[in-house]
Amino acid sequence: MSELLRTEHLTRHFKIGGMLSRRTLHAVDDVSFSIGEREIVALAGESGSGKSTIARVLARVYKPTSGEIYFEGKPLSAIRSRRDGLRYSSLVPMVFQDPFASINPVFRVQHGVLRILKLHRPELPAKKRLDEAARVFGVVGLGADMLQRFPYELSGGQRQRVGFAQALAMRPKLILADEPVSMLDVSIRIGLLNLMAKLRDEEGVSILYITHDIASARYVADRLIVMYAGQIAESGPIEDVLTIPKHPYTQLLLSAVPDPMAPLSQVSDQGEPPKVVDPTPGCRFRWRCPLAIEKCSAVTPVLAELRPGHEAACHVAQTGAEVRAFAS
Amino acid sequence: MSEAHEILQVNGLSVDYVLPQRDVRAVDDVSFTVDRGEFLGIVGESGCGKSTLLFAVAQLLAPPARIAAGSVRFEGNNLVGLTDKQLSAVRWRDMSVVMQSAMNALNPVKSIGAQFKDALQAHGKPSKQEIATRSAEVMRMVGIDPVHLKSYPHQLSGGMRQRSMIAMAMLFTPDLVIMDEPTSALDVVAQRALMVQIKELQQTFGFAVIFVTHDMSLISHFSDRLMVMYAGQIDELGATRTIFDRPLHPYTQGLLEAFPSIHGPRVPLRGIPGNPPDLAMIPTGCRFHPRCPYAVERCTAIAPDLYPVDGDLVRCLRRQDGTLPRADQEGSLSR
Repeated sequence: MSELLRTEHLTRHFKIGGMLSRRTLHAVDDVSFSIGEREIVALAGESGSGKSTIARVLARVYKPTSGEIYFEGKPLSAIRSRRDGLRYSSLVPMVFQDPFASINPVFRVQHGVLRILKLHRPELPAKKRLDEAARVFGVVGLGADMLQRFPYELSGGQRQRVGFAQALAMRPKLILADEPVSMLDVSIRIGLLNLMAKLRDEEGVSILYITHDIASARYVADRLIVMYAGQIAESGPIEDVLTIPKHPYTQLLLSAVPDPMAPLSQVSDQGEPPKVVDPTPGCRFRWRCPLAIEKCSAVTPVLAELRPGHEAACHVAQTGAEVRAFAS
Repeated sequence: MSEAHEILQVNGLSVDYVLPQRDVRAVDDVSFTVDRGEFLGIVGESGCGKSTLLFAVAQLLAPPARIAAGSVRFEGNNLVGLTDKQLSAVRWRDMSVVMQSAMNALNPVKSIGAQFKDALQAHGKPSKQEIATRSAEVMRMVGIDPVHLKSYPHQLSGGMRQRSMIAMAMLFTPDLVIMDEPTSALDVVAQRALMVQIKELQQTFGFAVIFVTHDMSLISHFSDRLMVMYAGQIDELGATRTIFDRPLHPYTQGLLEAFPSIHGPRVPLRGIPGNPPDLAMIPTGCRFHPRCPYAVERCTAIAPDLYPVDGDLVRCLRRQDGTLPRADQEGSLSR
């Protein structure tokens, strides 16, 4: 699989506090990962773990504090002109969490799609735009008659399909989907997840699927990246990570996923992810980790490959010992 | 179970939203009971009336919503029609409510301790010492250090805020605690910890819980009985484990199969086709028939009742007359 996007030591900090109490929030710290072509990569973690910040940095909403993003081999920092910026935005569009807030309520649904076609695909003659809008609506499973509707006439699931249709109208290579199904009812979530798989299989689009729902990630994603407190804890092919989780945090996360068909796991953890303000070196999970050793409070663990394509940032796992911090 | 064990009896409860054009019935003829110390889960999609039902039970409805029919008997007394003054004798002392978003339910400009004090003083004249002792007690019960009584809501994490809401609901050791999606703003790890905590408190103090959620899998290990709502009505009501093992209503079956699992083989799922109905335009006959893969002609015409089948209650014509394949025998809806 050829590589589409790669981040190298991507870091994003925010200044917080007033004049006298200048502190730095490390929202994303030293994150390196890649997304291949025709691949769905799930980015999972608790709220505050930095997963949305990554999406915004990739969408060029935030500039990285340090580190670099390469898209199709070219660094994003080299983008200077508005034209190049627009081109990147159309190749890497975003789909947002809230389908009720992300569509302009005063226009018909077609408005957004037609604007996108006009702005991002100027080579398309004006007469062809409506046909193209109908085509992308068809791909996401909406009838062409939907184009004439107003957003309030649509259900949440239909609106989120409009979100994907708008992204698709740009002929994207990679869609950044930030919690695209978390606000939808369970009975229609699956339909959207199936749509994401269809976009990958039939339209050849890659998707960065940001979610806190591991089960839905397993359903559509090829690879899983688990974030904790602004860093990658573990990443790898999704079945590998779920069946042989190497990082204690991944194990904790998996043990907490409610599953009616499995017996209730007896894990008790009342900890919470730390706010990463002016952090000192060391593993950020060590306060919650039953396996923490001395090294964990002194040295920040970095990702190391433990099995083919399967990496974890854990000192204990990297010694080769079997990690069983939380049984799922 | 004899009536003496029943702490709450809801009978034929209907709630209307009175709108300028027409009235919309959000809860339609709902009847159920809750036993002392029982954990009842109520699940359904958005707009199915589950939160409205909860508010109606707690007598917290505000216009344009009003109770159109039915009764809510709590410990023998009908709460419907009582004045606020009469209700305040019951509220919080015998029945407390934990809301979805603690950030909105807690007063942001008062410390947690001050809010506990307000609640305690509303039901008597406790001394300063008694207030301090009880407040610290309930905070310890939910696993928060009592020093946080001095904290303001914004100084606590989401999990701690939700816990302090539950602590507040425990102040008088009520007989019934009503919870409206108390964990939905939390991460999975915090969510699970809170569920375990609620269950432990319940086992220690023996109060009954009505727990509303859209996530069936969340309560699968915690609730005794499960009530599935669809379009303002009860679709299925029975023992939680039984419903998970062999759902009787096609909607329940569809809901269960809409969840991907992290265990077992990766199978394609289909979810439930279509969208939940608009309560202003309710389908004729069975309200689920436009989305139901098993619907036959009479489902479009005859509105089914709740029928007793295998010890559960289920609102399905074809289940009642036995023409519907069993979920555990005939494979499943989506495969």
